[in-house]
Amino acid sequence: MDIISVQGLTRTYRQYKRFPGIMGSMRSLFTREYTEELAVRELTFSIQEGEAVGYLGPNGAGKSTMIKMMSGILVPTSGELHVLGRVPHLARKENAMQIGVVFGQRSQLWWDLPVNDSFDLHKYIYKIPDATFEKNLAFCLDMLAIKEFIHKPVRQLSLGQRMRVEIAMALLHEPRILFLDEPTIGLDVMAKDQIRQFLRTVNREKKVTIVLTTHDMKDIEEICPRMIVVNKGELVYDGSVTALRKKLGNERQVVIEFREEPGLIDVPGVTLLQEEGLRKTYLFAKSELSVFEIVSQIAANYYIEDVSIEQADIESVIRRLYQQLAANRQIG
Amino acid sequence: MRTYVKFTAKAFSKQLAYRSEVWLRLIGNFVTVLIQVEIWRAVIGSERIEGVTLEQMITYSIINTLLLALLLHGISGKVDESLKSGSIASELIKPISYPLFLLFDGLGNTLYQLVFTVAPSLLIASLYFGMMPPASWTHLFAFLLALLLALLISFLLGYLISLLAFWFMNHFALSWMLGGFITIFSGAFLPIWFFPSSWITVANLLPFQYMGYVPAAIYLGNITTQELWQVIAVGLGWIAGLLILVQWLWTRAVKRLVLQGG
Repeated sequence: MDIISVQGLTRTYRQYKRFPGIMGSMRSLFTREYTEELAVRELTFSIQEGEAVGYLGPNGAGKSTMIKMMSGILVPTSGELHVLGRVPHLARKENAMQIGVVFGQRSQLWWDLPVNDSFDLHKYIYKIPDATFEKNLAFCLDMLAIKEFIHKPVRQLSLGQRMRVEIAMALLHEPRILFLDEPTIGLDVMAKDQIRQFLRTVNREKKVTIVLTTHDMKDIEEICPRMIVVNKGELVYDGSVTALRKKLGNERQVVIEFREEPGLIDVPGVTLLQEEGLRKTYLFAKSELSVFEIVSQIAANYYIEDVSIEQADIESVIRRLYQQLAANRQIG
Repeated sequence: MRTYVKFTAKAFSKQLAYRSEVWLRLIGNFVTVLIQVEIWRAVIGSERIEGVTLEQMITYSIINTLLLALLLHGISGKVDESLKSGSIASELIKPISYPLFLLFDGLGNTLYQLVFTVAPSLLIASLYFGMMPPASWTHLFAFLLALLLALLISFLLGYLISLLAFWFMNHFALSWMLGGFITIFSGAFLPIWFFPSSWITVANLLPFQYMGYVPAAIYLGNITTQELWQVIAVGLGWIAGLLILVQWLWTRAVKRLVLQGG
């Protein structure tokens, strides 16, 4: 059964018109003109229990809006949304008992309480039995290395420490789904790694369904086999990370180190991306010829010191996707 | 329920961090009572006005000044803050009732004020200005009930204002207005028995008198034993009415909820 099902879901925001200047602000006292902004437009997808899905899209694509609707704190304008068989906003509290939510940019901890008091309060709020609580807490404290600062007030924690506590909190009541809205934003590499590893374990071993939004493609690569890409509220891709790479990643980046300045290279399908002296990066468009054939064409005419071929990483795949979307929009 | 009591305890201990404020509050309460006492001394002197003695007015002023420190209509500021910052999302994400969370959180503050500012202020004021005992045991009991009504009504009015803020995205003007109504119609400063008769009618039609006049008048025995239960019953009626209104508004407000930021 689908743990989350979304059908034709739309959410609009009213943007009240403001008029410039003092006279304008007087005018907006009396007129209530507004425009409707679409944050989520006719979305349809479903998620199975145990999946880990990366939900991504450029800024303003409606990712947070979607997370908020799924967690029951924002009411959809139209369409159908079911989480664990319920309409989230109509059963906010029941829904809340079975989900965990982490906002990367907003703390859910009690600012002035020490970390373990926050955990303790959480136990009461979610009515967690003692044994379950102790077991889950021990697991999180251990895997996220929280013990060393458990007596510190939350406001004294570093961002990395706080984030680990937020994630631990969201899992203490054994939610079936964990929503994370940009959980690694602003963190250093070590903290990111720790969190990714933890989330992977939680998904693979504890079978918690994960839906996470991010701008960091490594989050997706390491945690989520499936990704949903949205742009301007619309679904533009839903499928596996590998399939998207196949679809868009046919281009290769080739770094060539020349012995002497080659000047302009005139080979069809080759564009210069970047140059650092004699070390130049080219983009080879998809063509009949293989990468080796093109390189040997170049090598026939210029002295080449070294060549390395790089597979497009997921980041550039996504960049290509966004660029394509922007281009389509301009044409359309 | 234990969960909500935890919120009260948390709010109480949070207040402990601001203990230096206690002294300012004690001085503030004392000065407020002092000013009122001086005014009534000048107005009433050694006589009676409309059957009210200076001694009664002193007691009335003490009760009203201290009661104001306990009321809960200030929660609208808290809701407004979390609406503007968007932190209301973190509160709604929890499996708890939002109004009950607000109520118990507010009660923590009330409890703190009761212990650290109101009780000492009461002691100081009764030693310095003199305070009359309650009219009777029945009146004392009814007074305590009336205090509960005052807390609940002030909470519901504050919550009502915060829900209206969902439409206006600005609660300042509304809470300013509420403050004005409370100052005048609660009889906190000028007891309702001094109002002209048409204004008495207006005051009687509004719930604000339960936040000042009613508890004090009950304490002093200006409300007879027969009237007592009727007054309390009407107060309960107000609570029921406000509850229904607030519930209805909430279901509509949630749809308008626009979570700010991120």
